[in-house]
Amino acid sequence: MTAEKILEFKQVALAFGETEVLKNIDLTLDSGQFYTLLGPSGSGKSTILKLISGQLQPSGGEVVFDGKVINDQPAEKRRVNTVFQNYSLFPNMNVYDNVAFGPRLKKMSETVIEEKVKEMLSLVKLSGYENREINELSGGQQQRVAIARALANDPELLLLDEPLSALDYKLRKVLQTELRTIQRRLGITFVFVTHDQEEALAMSDWIFVMNDGVIQQQGTPEDIYDEPVNHFVADFIGESNIVPGIMKDDYLVHFVGKDFESVDAGMRPNEAVEVVLRPEDLDLTTPEEGKLSVTIKNQSFRGDYYEIMAQDDDLNLWQVQVTNPAEIGARVGLTFDPEDIHIMRYNESEEDFDARLEAYEDDETPTDPSDSADKVPEVFDHE
Amino acid sequence: MKIIERTWLTFAFFLLYAPILFLVVYSFNSGEAMQGFDGFSFVHYQELWQDTRLLQIVLNTLILALASSLIATVVGTIGALAIFRTQRKLLKETLLGLNNVLLVSPDVIIGAAFLILMTALGLKLGFVTVLLAHVAFSIPIVVLMVLPKLQEMNRDLVLAAQDLGATPTEVLTKVTLPVISPGILAGFFMALTYSLDDFAVTFFVTGNGFSTLAVEVYSRARQGVSLEINALSTIMLFVAFIMVLFYYGYSQKQKGKKTKLKEKVK
Repeated sequence: MTAEKILEFKQVALAFGETEVLKNIDLTLDSGQFYTLLGPSGSGKSTILKLISGQLQPSGGEVVFDGKVINDQPAEKRRVNTVFQNYSLFPNMNVYDNVAFGPRLKKMSETVIEEKVKEMLSLVKLSGYENREINELSGGQQQRVAIARALANDPELLLLDEPLSALDYKLRKVLQTELRTIQRRLGITFVFVTHDQEEALAMSDWIFVMNDGVIQQQGTPEDIYDEPVNHFVADFIGESNIVPGIMKDDYLVHFVGKDFESVDAGMRPNEAVEVVLRPEDLDLTTPEEGKLSVTIKNQSFRGDYYEIMAQDDDLNLWQVQVTNPAEIGARVGLTFDPEDIHIMRYNESEEDFDARLEAYEDDETPTDPSDSADKVPEVFDHE
Repeated sequence: MKIIERTWLTFAFFLLYAPILFLVVYSFNSGEAMQGFDGFSFVHYQELWQDTRLLQIVLNTLILALASSLIATVVGTIGALAIFRTQRKLLKETLLGLNNVLLVSPDVIIGAAFLILMTALGLKLGFVTVLLAHVAFSIPIVVLMVLPKLQEMNRDLVLAAQDLGATPTEVLTKVTLPVISPGILAGFFMALTYSLDDFAVTFFVTGNGFSTLAVEVYSRARQGVSLEINALSTIMLFVAFIMVLFYYGYSQKQKGKKTKLKEKVK
């Protein structure tokens, strides 16, 4: 990436008394990107947002904005604006005055402000709503006004604190697309906080997965989905079948009592690992052709696919997503390709994980050239 | 069942309004007393118009009420903001408790206490002492009306304003005060009515040369109420009635405006 660095956290920590909310966070944001902080509630993602906006001060480390340490700079002095989860529009003002709030504080002339407000409202598709009162607007419209109000301040960084979580599914989808479009058009850095992994994967250039006050993994949506670094990430992002296994040798993994060919390497021989198989990578076939024999236990219709729970002979449950229905109680085979198997080492840090990946992908001796062909670009992609 | 309900309601309203109606009717009596209606006349209204002392007292009462409730609104709003911002729970509860004690304690005690304090300070009893006393008993009322509005206010509004670049003063003047203004207004009008009404506290702290309507009516009543007072009361009732009608019309109009706009949105 050639973009310049806009914000940096250097070993930033935050503790309230004994409780550590953030533990030595390092992160870098480049300009013009759409970032997402993804994690369950209490993971520290909103705390990072508040440290950027100035609502909170770190108890350790440095927050660097445009090359300057801004730990103690008050919120009103920062060129950062926030879109709040509950919209937080001023109820005593109409739409126009809400959007004009920031520019008016900057003592811009009314004609400039009027132009600005018109531009921002058309950006969020609310042209003609200038004189509406806030309580006359629907939730979706209110959130659009909140976005326009924040953008009217010309921020270098826009923070969005779960802005879509109060909206219904359809509207959320629409606003996701619109936010992405607005971000691309304006070229402003967006930092979006959500606990919705689907939302994060759909919108972001780069995702930070948070848990327990620590960044568990960061990368492009594809990286994070395809190469989760640990059990938490694999479980939190998407659906996963996670079983314990043993890495017998490079490209050979042993789990549920059988040996399987894989595309992972760089572990100690016979190291205990966790094996991840995504439900959509598993296919049903005849028992003879399957790599595993399973019995269909349960099936539910999900609209665009069927979700099947199947049990193997060791009583492991496998979640499978298929387009055609199966018969409950039937004996079938479960099949998957070597590249569908993702191996995770216990307690491997993200740096070690990246380093290992690079080490064995460089002097690649692929077991199957056609598999690695679509594998390599992804790995380069996240550097 | 319905008949009982209706009878009860009629009876209750009769109880409430009969004395007032009695007073209003006699204000038009051509006789001098409330014993026997001698004939219709405006003679007591003419008397009232010529009684400059009583008119001066009405004016005094209004000025006092306006001044004291204005000062109390300013002080009370600042007080409510301070209590709201107090972080320590014990201190907050204590402040609120002290505020409420003043509200429920009898007027006589407050009046006596002020009398003792003001004589100890050597203040000359008159307008200033009455004003101070009225401000003092009005403040807790304002605090009580403003505080709930602050608690209702979405706290993120302050964060949002700061986020958009507002300094603490701008947050207060552009966001907090406008949002809690219904509470401030209600507090002002409550303080106004309390001040207009007050007899006990005023009676204690007022001196020669300054009197309010309540005190004046009381002292005149000892020699038998002149029908001039009835005439004054009738005028005041009429003004109050007009104001209530006006407010009702205003609030209906507001409601109508809102529903109309809602329909337009749909």
